[in-house]
Amino acid sequence: MKLALAATFLGATLLAGAASAADKRWDGADDLPVNPLACSAGEANAAPAAKPYDGGRPTNAADKAGKPITLVDVPKLIGIGYFNATSKGMQDAAKALGNVTVKTDGPTEAKIDEQIKFIDNYITSGVDGILFAANDPVAIAPVLKKALSKGIHVVGYDANATPDAREWFVNQAEFNGIAKAMVDSMAKEAGEDKSFAIVTSTFTTPNQARWIAEMWAYAQKCHPKLKWLETVEAQEDNNLSFNQATTLINKHGDKLAGLFGMTSVATPASAEAVTKAKLCGKVAVVGLATPNAMKPYVNADCVKSVVLWNPVDLGYAATYVMRAVVDGSLKAGATSVDAGKLGKLNVVNGSEILLGSPFIFTKQNIKDFDF
Amino acid sequence: MSEVPLRHHAKRVVPWWLLRHETMLALILLIALIVLGSMNNRFLTLDNLLNQGRLTTEVGLIALPMTFIIITGGIDLSVGSIVGLCAILLGYSWKVLGFPLPLAICFSLLVGAAAGFLNGIVITRVKVPPLIMTIATLALYRGLAEGISQARSVRGYPEWFYFIGQENFFGVPAQLWLLLIAIVVSAIVLDRTTFGRTLYAIGNNETAARFSGLPVDRVKLIIYTLSGLMAGLSACVLVSRVTTTRSDMGIGYELDVIAAVVLGGTSIFGGVGTIWGTVIGLAMIQLLKNGLALTGVKGDATIVVIGTVLILSTLVASALQRRREGV
Repeated sequence: MKLALAATFLGATLLAGAASAADKRWDGADDLPVNPLACSAGEANAAPAAKPYDGGRPTNAADKAGKPITLVDVPKLIGIGYFNATSKGMQDAAKALGNVTVKTDGPTEAKIDEQIKFIDNYITSGVDGILFAANDPVAIAPVLKKALSKGIHVVGYDANATPDAREWFVNQAEFNGIAKAMVDSMAKEAGEDKSFAIVTSTFTTPNQARWIAEMWAYAQKCHPKLKWLETVEAQEDNNLSFNQATTLINKHGDKLAGLFGMTSVATPASAEAVTKAKLCGKVAVVGLATPNAMKPYVNADCVKSVVLWNPVDLGYAATYVMRAVVDGSLKAGATSVDAGKLGKLNVVNGSEILLGSPFIFTKQNIKDFDF
Repeated sequence: MSEVPLRHHAKRVVPWWLLRHETMLALILLIALIVLGSMNNRFLTLDNLLNQGRLTTEVGLIALPMTFIIITGGIDLSVGSIVGLCAILLGYSWKVLGFPLPLAICFSLLVGAAAGFLNGIVITRVKVPPLIMTIATLALYRGLAEGISQARSVRGYPEWFYFIGQENFFGVPAQLWLLLIAIVVSAIVLDRTTFGRTLYAIGNNETAARFSGLPVDRVKLIIYTLSGLMAGLSACVLVSRVTTTRSDMGIGYELDVIAAVVLGGTSIFGGVGTIWGTVIGLAMIQLLKNGLALTGVKGDATIVVIGTVLILSTLVASALQRRREGV
């Protein structure tokens, strides 16, 4: 009797799993609206309607305008090139400002639970401000709200939280902008009517999911003949990314004309897989990655475009934004903020500060960057 | 195997309870508390300690049945994946299948129990070693969680559901009450019931236990089912605390749980272990992590320090045990 009951349950569970797994092409669906940009670069994109400030506010924050402040930076995880670069930007900004101390600390794996614990501990130990890159926009919200309620300033960068859980978010590039740059590059390099596949981190990582959803929407609108084979998960793991890319190459054979790498780990690993398979020039690799990791492949003509922003600038901007928030010079309703050597950055979307358009590294310019 | 009864005999003639693993560990914990407390004045505050209790509840709930399982000489590596599966099914059955939330909670608990039951039935009937079976279901249950969720996070639960994960009840985090009750019940069951003594008998000598007419298979089936059920409960608490359901929830929990149980003096070879040892093991790991973070030790260095402390305290304890047994 008990056995039958358990069998029924597991059977039902298995069926549900199999049924939903049958829907193959995962398009990053997170049920949020997409907003694909216009197809040609010349066309003006409708400016988004100005939204009122929708960020949160700390309660009874100590007045530290112009005084030394101590910040903690909790990225998604520590020990990878990308967040080492944002961390370097923060140290640069701290040096330039002179009255800011920043420490970067976080989990060694990109796990929501671990990140929440780190932030919780820093609330207890007492800091003036928290800089974060969220592993999950909603899961991180309660602990950030707790920080705000204790008078700690909260500014996000790289990956957002729900707006009311932080004061400002420094947006490196808008999702639809990245999507356009990626898909346009792919259509140009692989061909308008070819097939491609995607290597991403995990389906649950919010940035990657949003980019893929926007890429899907933009491809349908502007490059409808591009064929989407499948999206595979590879964590933020070098070996796994290489294996997944190799599997895609073997599985789809001649059909595969392009690979997208969605992370700074997946893109060089995909390029390596293409190189090892001696398919340079036949399978295009387009992806998000840091220039140093991509230099060998770009210089060997195996990869033509690497899409990214400058993560050092991102960390730099986040620190300036935090300083401006503490000083009271960046208030709700402001339209721009001064970010030191980066000049003035614009406020978009209510409570986000835009770093700029995505940057495309090519053989011509990649040697000028070192991060 | 003949040394096992001897060891137990030795334990009885030497009334040196002071040199028990758990007592030593409690002393080490006390020293750690004093040292860490002296290094940071925010560490030994009631607020911080209760908050750490909140953060450790999910792992703690699973560590209790894991103590039972390890005492029998078994292991359950699938608990982290069961947490993921139950969390997803809680969200999925509520949001997609339209179950009322209380029913969805019951459903996910039931699936947790069923997942544990499946482990137990294969381990006892097909005689697959627990290590192999639960490694297999570690992958299977995680795969199911990802397949069912299709990477869609479930959010926007009603306010009342956040009570267990975020609110206080008589000034103590709500989930900590749950953990305290579970601790007391588990301790009584292990120490004061035939069922509890059967676990030690199985761990010491399973064949002898069978010949003594103990219902070995039934007991094993019960503890693996219980382990799944508690993983399901842990999933509900976790979802309530972080307000969102993701298929990667609970990854790596099995290691945290087993570390706490083994540090608490439960022998991985079976036959030895207590609930209060597990509780000290849990507190030790959580407070070390927290205390080190508060004194400014960085995340990667914390892991190194904790690993070192774990090895040292196990070394001290086993050295004392050898002396006690006159080996």
